[in-house]
Amino acid sequence: MSKLISLIRVFYLSILFLGVTGLSGCGINNIPTKEEQAKAAWSNVLNQYQRRAELIPNLIETVKGFAAQEEKVFKEVVEARAKATSLKLPKDITTNPEVFQQFQKVQSQLSSALGRLIAVAEAYPDLKSSQNFLTLQTQLEGTENRIAIARRDYIESVRQYNTELKTIPGRWWKSLVYPDSEVMETFEVSAEKTKVPEVDFK
Amino acid sequence: MLGPFLLLLMGALLAYCFFHNRFGFLFSKFLIAMIVWLGFMSLSFAASLNFPTLTGRVVDQAQIISAEDEARLSKILSDVEGQSTDQIVVVTLNSLQGTPIEDYGYQLGRHWGIGQAGKDNGVLLIIAPNERQVRIEVGRGLEGALPDGLAGLIIQRRILPHFKKGNLIAGIFAGVEDIKASLLGQTEEVALRARKPKSKVDPLLPFIFFAFWLVPFIYLISSLARDRKIGGRMPGGVVIVPASHGGAIDGWSGPGGFHRRSSGGFSGGGGSFGGGGASGSW
Repeated sequence: MSKLISLIRVFYLSILFLGVTGLSGCGINNIPTKEEQAKAAWSNVLNQYQRRAELIPNLIETVKGFAAQEEKVFKEVVEARAKATSLKLPKDITTNPEVFQQFQKVQSQLSSALGRLIAVAEAYPDLKSSQNFLTLQTQLEGTENRIAIARRDYIESVRQYNTELKTIPGRWWKSLVYPDSEVMETFEVSAEKTKVPEVDFK
Repeated sequence: MLGPFLLLLMGALLAYCFFHNRFGFLFSKFLIAMIVWLGFMSLSFAASLNFPTLTGRVVDQAQIISAEDEARLSKILSDVEGQSTDQIVVVTLNSLQGTPIEDYGYQLGRHWGIGQAGKDNGVLLIIAPNERQVRIEVGRGLEGALPDGLAGLIIQRRILPHFKKGNLIAGIFAGVEDIKASLLGQTEEVALRARKPKSKVDPLLPFIFFAFWLVPFIYLISSLARDRKIGGRMPGGVVIVPASHGGAIDGWSGPGGFHRRSSGGFSGGGGSFGGGGASGSW
């Protein structure tokens, strides 16, 4: 008799295993998986903005060496950078529309200030042909490019995550298992357009 | 491009069937909605960029490299992969399809999966002769060995002077030599990179999964057999063969995985790109 009980126990156990793996087939894991992907994409976005902020002091130093009189532009860039780096980012920034908007605003202000700095630099032939400036310019360009890609990747993963939350199996799973998972904020296209002007070497 | 239309046609056909048989009005409506939605989905996919097929280490869509030079280039590039597992691909394009070369480049790199999965050590040298643009696209794992500034220098100092004189092939060779030199320059790093590809999935994982399933089953079956010997009654069991999960875990990384390279042919290892590199125009 005890044999029969243990047999039944094993049977139930395997049914349970099957149930658990079966559930992953109906998408019970989709919400956390996509949420983590979106979070990873977001930290990449932050990373690239950080990288840009770190590039700026060097860039300003180099431009100052040739165009010291352009005080106004330097001040603008420095201020915009200070604003962008001092903005305290709460943990829930991706689900908090106000902070997210603010983040987007300060970063795009920094973008336009940088754009003006580069435009000013164009007027100084010595500066334009200096090796140091050329390298910095390439780095800045590369960073802007990475920001654009990181943003695009973030938009895409948030789109997938939000769709999962709003469409049918995911919607049920959210209300049953993941009530804390919220829709994430995404970048607006209009901000995407305010990029630093492309610099071409001619 | 035919896919979405076929799907829409199928939807119409199904709708016709359902209406004329007069069963499941709601169900058919639901089905049509789904099929139309699928059609739109594939439409939006069709709107994305077209990429040439990865035919080798040199993909000469614009037809500017002779067969002889192509062989020489391929030799250099496969030597690099032999030493450091870094994958370099030279690609000439007929058209950038109206996208900036930076946007095209990283998408092409991801599409082909150049570089090893997990190491992301791929480099593309992209030449668009019609748009007169060139780009060195650097995979995430090589952004240290070939930073943007260096890539920009290679383009400005080594590639563009040849291109400006109209000698594309000399510029390509000069660029490839410099990319090779910068990738293989730091010998310690090269040795590190050349180690076995870091696979995201432990190759043992499927076996562990299988064992995990197997133990209760063996137990079940053996106790069933024992019971039969004794002659007791047992509940009817259903034998379920667990599906292998090996493929589902790392489905994203494209053509990566265990059977990465077939004999002689060349394929990407599943590397990714994040926008590293530099561009120039002439």
